Amino acid sequence: MLEIKPVFNALLRSKAGAVMLLIQIALTTAIVSNAAFIINDRIDYLSQETGYPEDEIFSFTVKSFDPNLDLSQKFEETETMLRNIPGVENAGLFNASPLSGSGSATGLSLAPASERGPDVRAAYYQADENALNILGISVSQGRNFRADEVIVSQTRGVFPLVVIVTRTLAKELFPKGDALGQTVYFGSDPLKIVGIVELMKGPWLQDSKPDNVAIIPFVSASTFQHIIVRTQTKQRAAIMRQIEDLMLEDHSKRVIIGLNAMDVKKAEYNASDTLMLRMLMVLIIVLLLVTALGIFGLTVFNINKRTKQIGTRRALGARKSAIINYFLVENAMICSVGVTIGSIGAFFLGRVLLQHYSIPALDNMYILSTALFVIAISLLSVLMPANKAANISPSIATRSI
Amino acid sequence: MFLHYIDLSWRSMKRTPLVSMLMILAIAVGIGVTMTSLSVYHMMSMDPIPHKSDKLFSVQLNTTDDGNNWWTEDDVPLQLTYKDAMALHNADTPESKTASVRALFTVHMNNQEVKPFLASTRIIGHDFFTMFELAFLYGGAWTSEQEAAATPVVVIDEETNDRLFGGENSVGKQIYLDDTAFRIVGVTKQWRIHTKYYDLNNGAFNSPESIFMPITLIAPLEIQNMGNTNGWKYEEINTFQERLQSELFWLQFWVELNTAEELQNYRDYIQAYLVEQGTKSRFERKIPQFNLKDVNEWMQYNKVVSADNKVLVGLSFLFLAVCLANILGLLLGKFLRRAPEVGVRRALGASKRQIFIQHLVEVSMLGLLGGVIGIGIAQLGLWGVRFTSNEYASLATMDIKMLLAAPAIAISACILAGIYPAWLVCRTQPAIYLKTQ
Repeated sequence: MLEIKPVFNALLRSKAGAVMLLIQIALTTAIVSNAAFIINDRIDYLSQETGYPEDEIFSFTVKSFDPNLDLSQKFEETETMLRNIPGVENAGLFNASPLSGSGSATGLSLAPASERGPDVRAAYYQADENALNILGISVSQGRNFRADEVIVSQTRGVFPLVVIVTRTLAKELFPKGDALGQTVYFGSDPLKIVGIVELMKGPWLQDSKPDNVAIIPFVSASTFQHIIVRTQTKQRAAIMRQIEDLMLEDHSKRVIIGLNAMDVKKAEYNASDTLMLRMLMVLIIVLLLVTALGIFGLTVFNINKRTKQIGTRRALGARKSAIINYFLVENAMICSVGVTIGSIGAFFLGRVLLQHYSIPALDNMYILSTALFVIAISLLSVLMPANKAANISPSIATRSI
Repeated sequence: MFLHYIDLSWRSMKRTPLVSMLMILAIAVGIGVTMTSLSVYHMMSMDPIPHKSDKLFSVQLNTTDDGNNWWTEDDVPLQLTYKDAMALHNADTPESKTASVRALFTVHMNNQEVKPFLASTRIIGHDFFTMFELAFLYGGAWTSEQEAAATPVVVIDEETNDRLFGGENSVGKQIYLDDTAFRIVGVTKQWRIHTKYYDLNNGAFNSPESIFMPITLIAPLEIQNMGNTNGWKYEEINTFQERLQSELFWLQFWVELNTAEELQNYRDYIQAYLVEQGTKSRFERKIPQFNLKDVNEWMQYNKVVSADNKVLVGLSFLFLAVCLANILGLLLGKFLRRAPEVGVRRALGASKRQIFIQHLVEVSMLGLLGGVIGIGIAQLGLWGVRFTSNEYASLATMDIKMLLAAPAIAISACILAGIYPAWLVCRTQPAIYLKTQ
């Protein structure tokens, strides 16, 4: 039997403590629901599919400083050397390294640059016909480049005639879905789409269009050259350890920098998101802990204060369960009001975050589940002290008078 | 009297150890979380050059056609083209100004002893050193004559000097950058700034460059910049010369303007420059658009403090509020339970004021203890931040201001929470309690 009226009346006699508990629960609900939502948003972002077998790939950059070196020829030899390392699946020159936060983008358009038509922003990789194999990506429609389509040149004088694009880019360029075989323009150079891949992220995961990516079969060895290597997963670490020595043995007038596994590069690029995620998680856990302890402490206090009354009630015939119920009902009353206010607060806090801090709109499901969770925690924190209260012996009431 | 109050508070804490511990823990955790995010925010938003930040201005020119969008809030590109940067760099006005761009060079001594390494290099005018207050260990900046003649000279930093010359005075010695020999004219003292405010393009919290080189060397040495290069229209660029003449944006530009008058004059100068460039039909723009932003405005414009950080600081203060509500509730219970004792003290002649102050002292003690433990928790939090992100390594520390702020915030928060309970308890009517005793 729930005795709401007497509990409520008793509450009115010590309003301030109840109000504090209420504020605490309201704030907790508002903070936790928003923080949980942001956490989930970041987890989705951090765990998204990139299309690459990230644990097989590593990349590095070669800075060459020998003025008399024929770069194209040297790098051809270097590629062969790298591909012959036991455990290496494939390796090659790239203009940029995926997921690393550094690369090139351009506007691809349906008309040559002289006509100034609308264009679609896309990141692009330049590499030879091994590109997809090195990145561990397969063509889903059309075909890969042929070796004779690859242009190796130090200038833009001759440019390739074909391109492979991601499904997302193909759809944006040709919404009807007939992209394969069509021509797009890179500046004034026409490129025929010969292949489409399902998923291949660009260098910037935080880009507004991270899925718009093209591969152009163009190799232009430079003094600041990125190289990507795909290995057997288990051998990657061992190969990475010897790469600098092998590269310097291959040619001494160069410096190797940025040697890193693909998943590590991605983690570095996303470090601030990981940080936000972790800090919010700590915040939520500690907050719930503090709130639970607060409720616990306050209940213990109230019970101590009311020891005599409880003893009297027990002496007058109240069951243990009635005592427990009393505290549960009292807490549930405060808590439900707090949670209601907190939910409204959460909604407005979400609006503020959306408007001023470009955080996506709060899903109301988060408010609801947080509210239920807070109520559960709150009742659990009362249960233990309430049990203790129920064990107060009726004799206490008689003895101290 | 004060000491007596402290003694009383100590006794009171010992009497209710569980509740006291809960309260101290609550304030400590609240302070720990708040100080962790606040310290990072404080380091990020700190003025990097306080006595001069309102005199250094970053210049932006909008040399795109009308209707072009950029990712900045006012659609003005962040960087300048080479021709504009050099035109402003070579202008007569103002006295101190510099174009600036970053490049990467292989540093070696053209021998087998020193293993070649890569050094981040800043390419600038000689005014850069005085404008941004770099101190010299040996030598100094190159002269304007050397700069005008594009002499291959460099300034290196202390760390590079230690690495190459074992910390000796290396002025006059030679080093090789890629395949060119350079003569060292100066060695700078380590430049300690946490925000790389003069070039926020590739990570606002990266270390400054370690080698400095005259900007006039870009053309003869065909130096490729290492940073952001952005275009807004298609241009056929095959040679380096074409690149220099192109509309690509890849250089920063800074001026030092000491008075409002200088600022106004420079505004007029740029306005005139843009009108003149517009008439050469480089771009179609009805009203010339440019920005002069001082250091702090520039950092805000470039969003050095990320939205995430502000959200975290906001949420942590809300968290602190929860802790306060928590403490307030517990204090109410604790103080009111002591009413009989207060009644006796009042009857023996203690004034309301004394009771009130006594309770506030007790609350402040809780705050102080909580604040000190909170600093410990914050250090743990900051360690976690450094562990997660290399970029934040130099930011996730507490400077002396923050170390003092922690107990200050803790004590004032506790006093805030304690005022109402202390006021309630000091109004105790002695008569009631004396009767029941």
